[in-house]
Amino acid sequence: MSEAPSLPNRQAILVDRAFTVLAWLLGATGIALPGVIIGFLAVRGLGVIDWAFLTSPPGGFPLGQAGGIGPALQGSLALVGIGLVVALPLAVGGALFLTEYNRFPALARIVRFATECLAAIPSIVYGLFGYAILVVFMSLKISLLAGGITLGLVMFPLILIGAQEALEAVSWQDREAALSLGVTRAYVVRRVVLRQAAPGILAITTLAAGHAFGSAAPVLFTASVIFSRGGLGLETPVMTLPTHLYFLVGEALSFEHAYGTALVLVGVLLIVNVLVVCLKGALRR
Amino acid sequence: MRLLPGILSERLTWLFCLVSLLAGGATLILVAVFILREAAPTLFADGGLMALLFTDPWVPLAEPPLLGIGHAWISTLMITAISLGVAVPFGYGIGLFISDVAPTAVRSALQPCLDVLAGIPSVVYGFFGYVTLVPWFENHFAMATGESILAAGLILAVMVLPFIASTSAEAFRAIPGDLREAALAQGVTRWHAVRRVVVAQAAPGMFAAAALGLARAIGETLAVLMLAGNSVALPHSVLDRGQPLTALIATELGEAGVGSPKYHTLFAAAFVLIFVVVCINALVWAWKGRLIYRV
Repeated sequence: MSEAPSLPNRQAILVDRAFTVLAWLLGATGIALPGVIIGFLAVRGLGVIDWAFLTSPPGGFPLGQAGGIGPALQGSLALVGIGLVVALPLAVGGALFLTEYNRFPALARIVRFATECLAAIPSIVYGLFGYAILVVFMSLKISLLAGGITLGLVMFPLILIGAQEALEAVSWQDREAALSLGVTRAYVVRRVVLRQAAPGILAITTLAAGHAFGSAAPVLFTASVIFSRGGLGLETPVMTLPTHLYFLVGEALSFEHAYGTALVLVGVLLIVNVLVVCLKGALRR
Repeated sequence: MRLLPGILSERLTWLFCLVSLLAGGATLILVAVFILREAAPTLFADGGLMALLFTDPWVPLAEPPLLGIGHAWISTLMITAISLGVAVPFGYGIGLFISDVAPTAVRSALQPCLDVLAGIPSVVYGFFGYVTLVPWFENHFAMATGESILAAGLILAVMVLPFIASTSAEAFRAIPGDLREAALAQGVTRWHAVRRVVVAQAAPGMFAAAALGLARAIGETLAVLMLAGNSVALPHSVLDRGQPLTALIATELGEAGVGSPKYHTLFAAAFVLIFVVVCINALVWAWKGRLIYRV
């Protein structure tokens, strides 16, 4: 269309061409950036990763120069698991109340604003809050439980917002068709609404869990230690993958292992993203 | 499914949902109240706020301890300014590319790339910057250590870029196609239509995208902790080392005795962060009605 002969002047066409070229360049940057970052980590880190690295505890002296990341992987997974146990039911329940039971639009708006503020609060503030309330005030000590609850707090607003959007996407006709058959609202929630919204809720839950898995700030002072031999207990501290990477770099212990750890973190992220894409595909069907 | 009589299960479901929501709401109030309570000794002391934000340096070992966070909020400000200065134009550009330029196939390849970029953990970005940007700085600027405000700002720019790009793309795509076509039918170029129609209409969404990026940038912890250099001196240039608010909390919390003045000061720093983030959200709500939040 821009080639039409009636165009006012050459300059406009040149500027338009420049815009098109620039937009393509920026788009190419956007596509290349994750490839470059992950490729860089993969080239340096792939050699370190094998089964022993993924399962064995750190070794060597000073610790971290040999061995693997087994306890850290275990600890991170356990933390996210506990966080999900805390956050998922509360968030889905809260979202259900807003979409299915709430009769006051003002309440929905206030809650929405509050959850968006919660979602925007820096994760280190959650770490500080978790440390002060859970670790010190409730004397849970630095432990799996304290860290898991803190991660739950981080995930709660994210899942609530995503679940609310998934629930709102369920058509009103389906709800009303079911209700007109005389079943209770709880039945409709279980059999119609949740069933249709499940892939969407799972997708946002997976995303939130992936985000929590990689964030070090909430668990730095609530759950993590520099070294553990593995084995999990609610009252004992754990190693986590992101804080392990932080310590490896901070103490300049082993860059080789740091590359491996970073690559594992990115690998988990990629798995999460693939899962989310699959779930969104299921939603469309 | 007949475990419970219908009415009872109805009530129970309702109750569970209500309790969940209240628990969530209570969390926000608890976080805010508790942080304010712990920050109060610092915030409401005589001249406390002035000393905290402007006049005192950070010398926790002085007698009495001097606990000013001026260096920290100035570092945060400088790093955030650099990152947004880079990421906002790039992000808008990618947003326009997605909404107006890219063919469908390219668009559907770009979106997952942005999602991956947004999902890479902060600590991995910190590490990446530490092994690429920091040595590069040391070699090219003859710096003793490449850790600096600039290094942290640049990595942070990459981190907030996908949020700004996705949110602004959503705003651009929300502009109806009719408007674009009406403009193009007048014989103007695509750039003209984008500038005068799409950008003009999408301004609130673009503001929301920048504000979302700002909130992210202010709160990012691990990457800036690893790259900014963690120096408590007041930074004078972007090549100086600094210690943003988040890094200050992460560095000092381990050595702050519970209930000590330092402990309360860290909560005051957290309160400043919360206050800024809530203000940003309120601004966006006032203008746009709703901030689209993505993980």
